[in-house]
Amino acid sequence: MGQYLPVVAMLVLAVVFAILSFAASKLLAPRRPSAAKSSPYECGIVPSQEPPERFPVRFYLVAMIFIVFDIEIIFMYPYAVIYRDLGAFGLVEVLTFAIAVFASFVYLIANGALDWGPAKRLGRRDPQMSATRTTTSTVRRVGLEGRPAGDEEVAA
Amino acid sequence: MIFAGDPLLSGHIDLAVVAIVVLKTVLTFALLLVGTMFMVWFERKVVGDLQNRIGPNRAGPFGLLQTLADGVKVFFKEDLIPEQADRVIFKYAPLLSMVPAFITFAVVPIAGDFRHGHSGVVSIFGHRTLLQLADPPIGVLLVLAMSSIAVYGVMLAGWSSGSKYPLLGSVRASAQMVSYEAALGLSVVAVVLVSGTLSTSGIVSAQAPWKWNLWVTGVVPFVIFLISGTAELNRPPFDLVEAEQELVGGYQTEYSGIRFALFYLAEFMNTITMSAIIVTLFLGGPSGPVILGPAWIWGLIWFLLKLLIFLFVFVWFRATLPRFRYDQLMDLGWKALIPLSLGWLLLLTAVRVGDVEGWNPFLVTMVGAVVLVAAYGLLVLAMRAARRNRQLAEELL
Amino acid sequence: MVPIIVFVVAAAICVAGALGVVLNRNPVHSALSLVATLFGVAVLFIAQDAQFLAAVQVIVYAGAIVVLFLFVIMLLGVDRAENLESEPLTGQRPAALVAGLLIGGGLIAVLVASTITGKHSSGAKVDPAQANVNQIGRLLFTDHLWAFEITSVLLVIAVVGAVVLARRGAPGSGADAVDAGIPADDFGEPASPDTVPPNDVEETVR
Repeated sequence: MGQYLPVVAMLVLAVVFAILSFAASKLLAPRRPSAAKSSPYECGIVPSQEPPERFPVRFYLVAMIFIVFDIEIIFMYPYAVIYRDLGAFGLVEVLTFAIAVFASFVYLIANGALDWGPAKRLGRRDPQMSATRTTTSTVRRVGLEGRPAGDEEVAA
Repeated sequence: MIFAGDPLLSGHIDLAVVAIVVLKTVLTFALLLVGTMFMVWFERKVVGDLQNRIGPNRAGPFGLLQTLADGVKVFFKEDLIPEQADRVIFKYAPLLSMVPAFITFAVVPIAGDFRHGHSGVVSIFGHRTLLQLADPPIGVLLVLAMSSIAVYGVMLAGWSSGSKYPLLGSVRASAQMVSYEAALGLSVVAVVLVSGTLSTSGIVSAQAPWKWNLWVTGVVPFVIFLISGTAELNRPPFDLVEAEQELVGGYQTEYSGIRFALFYLAEFMNTITMSAIIVTLFLGGPSGPVILGPAWIWGLIWFLLKLLIFLFVFVWFRATLPRFRYDQLMDLGWKALIPLSLGWLLLLTAVRVGDVEGWNPFLVTMVGAVVLVAAYGLLVLAMRAARRNRQLAEELL
Repeated sequence: MVPIIVFVVAAAICVAGALGVVLNRNPVHSALSLVATLFGVAVLFIAQDAQFLAAVQVIVYAGAIVVLFLFVIMLLGVDRAENLESEPLTGQRPAALVAGLLIGGGLIAVLVASTITGKHSSGAKVDPAQANVNQIGRLLFTDHLWAFEITSVLLVIAVVGAVVLARRGAPGSGADAVDAGIPADDFGEPASPDTVPPNDVEETVR
């Protein structure tokens, strides 16, 4: 257990360093909050939509599949340390295991679970290019709405 | 096998031992921090050179103190917290990015004499110790554990900002880091296989003087580790996290002042740590010939030289390679690197076991190669099936 | 002395994290409390000389499983409107109460009936002359071979399950649902963009 003493020491030192930096910044930095500064960054446009609440299912699939591969990799470590003692028997064990994992991998790929990028919409019009969307509708969204008149950021 | 561990800490731990540990901790900490400072300068200077610019040249000789100047400035900058942010998580997310870098660096052997019969142990104040901060028996796994903790910093920073671009950036980043961690882990298994130990100093000892894992494992794991290491760092060409043309600044968008600086620091710190890990795992760490003077100093010199190579390589990548598209990135990780590293690992295992059992190495390699080619064929068939399904789906849309 | 301090600190982290999981109103905070608990358990593993398990605890649980939890919580926006009145599974509250009482009763029974020995809780002997990983490996690849190989089957089932669940997601689409679930832009758009004309977006949100 003593081998971990320096790791703990490093952890403490790193955390102390970060906390001290935060404290120093709190003492030295100015605090002049304004509505424009504390609103979410939208490249200068007033936010009109909430952040997306739903994401492509593929992100969950990646996280899920990573668990599987992570466990498989973890099993390889004890084997890699003692493969000499296990000999041919160990090789067969690991190969059996790897074949099972590889089979699931092939299944994943064949099902397109790891394909990224949008499916191309053949022959259907993109709703973003609809005729109802005009210059006025776009410009209205980039306007000054939501900002107090005479705000210092606008003036500057 | 070598049951490693720092001899300093395997016996009774008294006050002197604790003092040495504190000294070593402070030194390692300072080394990494100063190294990071110069790394930022180095990167800006080299990228400047490669782009035919001068780069920083105002603060100090050759602009060496530029990072220090920037660091001091950042303390005087306002630290904004967006109103929609989850305040607690937003405040402490930079910590989660930085601390793993420090802890990973703790297990890197920095200096020492690794010539035959030596195992890098030196004597300080009558205590025998390794010239690395910590040498837990599971050192390599500690590195992997820290790289999986580093995902949290990015993920929580983006989510807690309560803003679009950071959220998108952090989702991309975490999926990317998680994907490449698998390839990273598999290529490290190859190193463990040939070294027979999980301790970092044991891995270095096993490589001394010229049995570098770079060629003992057959280059492929090294290349995979280098690529997935770059992806883990979110550095170019894998910097989709902060692809400024589409995501502003990725997960850091809402950060300012000291909290932004800590993320920035963590990024460069992680670059140094990752280079140090590559040197340890594949290039024999501080081992090398001793020419004149005490051997441990030569260890330090060799270590720093090897480190410098990889620092330059990372900067070079940044200046040279265009950014990947997200689907290309994921395809490279999942469909190329993971199967390749798994296949190579199994081939290496088979050859090694054949060596122990006295099989004909040529035959083993041939059979292994045939099996791998068959597996590759299967994979290609699977990809074709996926593409066909996709086309069908696109026609239905 | 030192082992006791380590135990007390780690146990305190575990219990505090576990309470945090239950008591936090924000699911992301709950998940982070869970990470704290897992860390505490990892430290306890190290205190028991089970170093490999400690690393696995962090790599697999904190590094993969809680990341998946966080993905689901963050990306589905579960942390926004949450109605505590409705019960997704009927009868889950009484069932949880019964299970909690049973487990709590069991724990108290253990505390009362048997004495706490303070011995290491490992089943096999720990050989201090050998690295922990080597001992685990030897046991895993000889005595517990069946468990190891059956794990691979479990992992295959997990992969198939994940893909099948992801496929079922998009109703009304005859195509490969894994693909059809993705909006054209990959991000930022509602799942079926053509139901919301761009001009109405503002009105819908407000």
